[in-house]
Amino acid sequence: MDRYYERCARFAVRMLGSRDDAEDALQQTFLRAYRSLGKYQERDRFSAWLYRILVNQCRSAASRRSQRERVFVREEAALLNAADRRQGWAGEDEELVQRILAELDPLLREAFVLKYIDELSYEEMSAATGVGVSALKMRVKRACDRLRARWEHIKDD
Amino acid sequence: MTDEFDSLDPNVRWIVTEARRPVPVDAAARARVIDAIKAEPVPSRGLGLVTWLSEPHRLALPPFATAALAAGLVGIGVLGGLAINRDGRSAAGQLPAVAVGQPQLPDSLSPRAVKFVLIAPQATNVSLVGDFNGWDSGATPMKTSGGTWTVFVPLHPGLHTYSFVVDGTHFVSDPTAPIAPDDGFGHRSSVVLVRKPSL
Repeated sequence: MDRYYERCARFAVRMLGSRDDAEDALQQTFLRAYRSLGKYQERDRFSAWLYRILVNQCRSAASRRSQRERVFVREEAALLNAADRRQGWAGEDEELVQRILAELDPLLREAFVLKYIDELSYEEMSAATGVGVSALKMRVKRACDRLRARWEHIKDD
Repeated sequence: MTDEFDSLDPNVRWIVTEARRPVPVDAAARARVIDAIKAEPVPSRGLGLVTWLSEPHRLALPPFATAALAAGLVGIGVLGGLAINRDGRSAAGQLPAVAVGQPQLPDSLSPRAVKFVLIAPQATNVSLVGDFNGWDSGATPMKTSGGTWTVFVPLHPGLHTYSFVVDGTHFVSDPTAPIAPDDGFGHRSSVVLVRKPSL
């Protein structure tokens, strides 16, 4: 579990923004993976199998949160900053990146994070999301376009 | 991937670079996940595996159909099923003598001696690596007797992944393990599920 925890944690935080939601999604992911080990097919890459569970858990978490009015609240941003400062990271950059990602449509964010943050191939992304490669390429392109536009807007502010 | 990254708009590239940084992981949150998993019953397929491993019978090993065959290696992961004291971590090779005849501890999370066996007559040294020793090939050397390499390791109940390292370089998974997940880094690992002792 240790080998995958940090990578999965990064995906969950980038997708959900909220640390609490990310922790819940992570716990559910590893519990479901453990319960489903018997269904794991050796022909699959273990990491791809785990990603499939993780993606679904993050989608579910995001869906639950949207029902109770989602936001990347300031308190959580402050938490991230506090943690970052402890580790000598640029907290402001972290918060900014997290906010920009949070403004993306969830499906675009998912494709973008899998592609460029987790560095999956489109085939691996397709296996993890159940979405076709062409659609994923389109989502990644749209995500990049919107991020670029959003950045321009921020610079103008 | 690098080409794709380089072709990104510079501002998007900055976002990617920042977002790739690892997020701080709360040790308490990770511990809660581990506790939740420990509280889970052993998965159905795993139960069969543990029961099968616990029975004191010899294994009929299938011939190798992988690269390991060329090396003349055969691996066996055998669950010893012996309860040991928590301080039994020292001198792994002596564990059987220490463990035999001792009552099982009531603590369901007490470590149990797990025996790992690899038949590798051509190997000059073999070690065991896994999540229990930080995948350190120097941490758990195996002892040989006529080409059969063995080691006892105290493991807590739960799921553990492991692999054999032959002659310091070759990672060899256990061919008898029903579950051998890809670790995502090119090495094949095996899985052993250690059952909680029955009270």
